[in-house]
Amino acid sequence: MSDDLKPIANPTVVLREEFDDWAILFDPDTGNAFGLNPTSVFIWKLLDGRHTIRDIINEVQKNFEEVPDDVEVHVNEFINDLIERGYAGYEWKQEG
Amino acid sequence: MRLMKTPKSIDIEITNRCNLRCRYCSHFSSPGDVDRDLPKEEWFRFFEELNRCAVMSVTLSGGEPFFREDLFEIIDGIVRNRMRFSILTNGTLITEDVARFLASTGRCDSVQVSIDGSIPTTHDSFRGEGNFRKAVEGIKHLQGHGVPVTVRVTIHRQNVMELEDIARFLLEEMGLPGFSTNSASYMGLCRKNAEQVQLTPEERSVAMETLLRLNRKYNGRISAAAGPLAEGRRWLMMERARREGKREIPGGGYLTGCGGVMTKIAVRADGVMVPCGQMAHIELGRINRDSLLDVWQGHPELNRIRQRRMVPLSSFDFCRGCEYINYCTGNCPALAYTIIGDEFHPSPDACLRAFLQKGGRLPDERILEA
Repeated sequence: MSDDLKPIANPTVVLREEFDDWAILFDPDTGNAFGLNPTSVFIWKLLDGRHTIRDIINEVQKNFEEVPDDVEVHVNEFINDLIERGYAGYEWKQEG
Repeated sequence: MRLMKTPKSIDIEITNRCNLRCRYCSHFSSPGDVDRDLPKEEWFRFFEELNRCAVMSVTLSGGEPFFREDLFEIIDGIVRNRMRFSILTNGTLITEDVARFLASTGRCDSVQVSIDGSIPTTHDSFRGEGNFRKAVEGIKHLQGHGVPVTVRVTIHRQNVMELEDIARFLLEEMGLPGFSTNSASYMGLCRKNAEQVQLTPEERSVAMETLLRLNRKYNGRISAAAGPLAEGRRWLMMERARREGKREIPGGGYLTGCGGVMTKIAVRADGVMVPCGQMAHIELGRINRDSLLDVWQGHPELNRIRQRRMVPLSSFDFCRGCEYINYCTGNCPALAYTIIGDEFHPSPDACLRAFLQKGGRLPDERILEA
């Protein structure tokens, strides 16, 4: 997947944060929810259609300690998972 | 149980008006029982706040929610604000159009319809003539449109001997996946009609035994958070712990009977926030005037109710010398309030020792074995 793509969160999906910085993503259309660790919450908030995947990876490296060497793989996997669930996508530009 | 940053769900009494006057309704006696509905615009504003607070679901009750002429618009407001919803209803106003609308939202978790009998005579004895037929029709409309429908059976003196027929009717004839049970509690209109409505210790014993047996027969399709089925399970566990000399059982020995205030909050029909619809006398603030987040995280009265679970049963004269003290949870604070005027007290209605002293008996515990 190209690092230049700018993923964007599905605005229907709800981020429910808790006191310990963990959170859940809740899809009101299906009732499904799944848990996010603090790093995933940080990434979710950057899915605004303005940050490329490369930007997001850079932000993770800047803001967290002990970031693993293969952070790119983890970030891409996480975003792909969100896209497969319908929780995120890419902005689509109409031709012409 | 940990406190959530914002409530996960909200119970909203969307109206106090109702087309029925069931003799054990928990309403029509509280400070919030006003006869004027809050305008829908007020609810829309509040739903926007719920959206910002990431609340996941709303339960609409009443009164009778379908009595509100603008209920569809209110539900649209919930959907617009990224939430799901459930409805508690008497079922009599659910038409084909209502069921079709609910299905079209794609956000309805459940509609809970009250059914108290297997035949009209029993159901209508306390709910009014013709209402069994209407409620059953309502359920069929919901089923026809694939709306998840559940049934609540309120057990009282007129239907306690009919539980077997009720289970057969609901689970076999109506084809429901399950139903839940409670018994008429000493609240609202039931307080005036307690003699006619509330189970005697003997009837309570029959209800416990019958429901535990039926639940086994129907593979766990009968549920209960309160009332004879829940009591039967809990009290048998407490009796076994006493006999085996266990030091305690989880949650026992303190006022841990209800954890609802850690995950949800309620709003009366007049827009006043309360810890629970059954504790409508504890006013925490007003929607669209007071911030939900401030109330949820900082209201001293709400925090006091949450601290209830730290209160040991050994501090009550009522519990002195009780063999079950380390296994008991004190049960429902709202019921403690309606019976003795103090929610920081064990509910006398849920006292196993008192039940046995009044001639009640526990079922044979082998009934719990698979």
